[in-house]
Amino acid sequence: MMLEHILVLSAYLFSIGIYGLITSRNMVRALMCLELILNAVNINFVTFSDFFDSRQLKGNIFSIFVIAIAAAEAAIGSAIVSSIYRNRKSTRINQSTLLNK
Amino acid sequence: MDLPGPIHDFLLVFLESGLILLGGLGVVLLTNPIYSAFSLGLVLVCISLFYILSNSHFVAAAQLLIYVGAINVLILFAVMFMNGSEYYKDFNLWTIGNGLTSLVCTSILVLLITTILDTSWYGIILTTRSNQIIEQDLISNSQQIGIHLATDFFLPFEFISIILLVALIGAIAVARQ
Repeated sequence: MMLEHILVLSAYLFSIGIYGLITSRNMVRALMCLELILNAVNINFVTFSDFFDSRQLKGNIFSIFVIAIAAAEAAIGSAIVSSIYRNRKSTRINQSTLLNK
Repeated sequence: MDLPGPIHDFLLVFLESGLILLGGLGVVLLTNPIYSAFSLGLVLVCISLFYILSNSHFVAAAQLLIYVGAINVLILFAVMFMNGSEYYKDFNLWTIGNGLTSLVCTSILVLLITTILDTSWYGIILTTRSNQIIEQDLISNSQQIGIHLATDFFLPFEFISIILLVALIGAIAVARQ
């Protein structure tokens, strides 16, 4: 019962992240929703590693790799958003039409 | 974590589920991006406490240090650096795309929940538990993670360090100018 509860929670976070990623008009909010999706994946990794593989803990190691990739993604994303903001004075997604010139 | 009673355990898990559910809604639905960034911080701290409950102390510490200490602060810095009055213009703009997306995401959630509830997890647990060798090791989880990172996952560990170096140099080079 505990395992299904945690998996339903992770699925909820994943679908909330997908919804926010599609409908947000602000680039920084899209980055936040991407972090939500990665956290849902991490919850699944840690939970399955705790329930099924409590001797070897390979799910924990994969979740550490996912956390490192998320850190790199947040740094690159913030740099790209600040560069777009410097050029266009706006961080809205539907106004970043840099190729349309 | 070995809590004394199952009531305490259930209480903690339900509290965290409430906080995570409300925080996840707050990240998406709040209009001011600063409030939404703080709500994301709340969700990340609750997920870290949740990792402590599921016996993964090293991942909990890494989550608290990297997500809350680095990524959330970076997102807050990005929000405050690009602060403008344009955030308040379009807060009640419910278009047809939002309704369609919410429909699709709700259907994804319902499909996932039915799949989760249909799968018999305890059969998988029994088969994996019977295959494991019953041996009494005295090393802790953090020591086991360290041994795996130094032996089995040595090449991905080095690749992760190279990726982090390249990402930091690239971020500075893009944001500098």
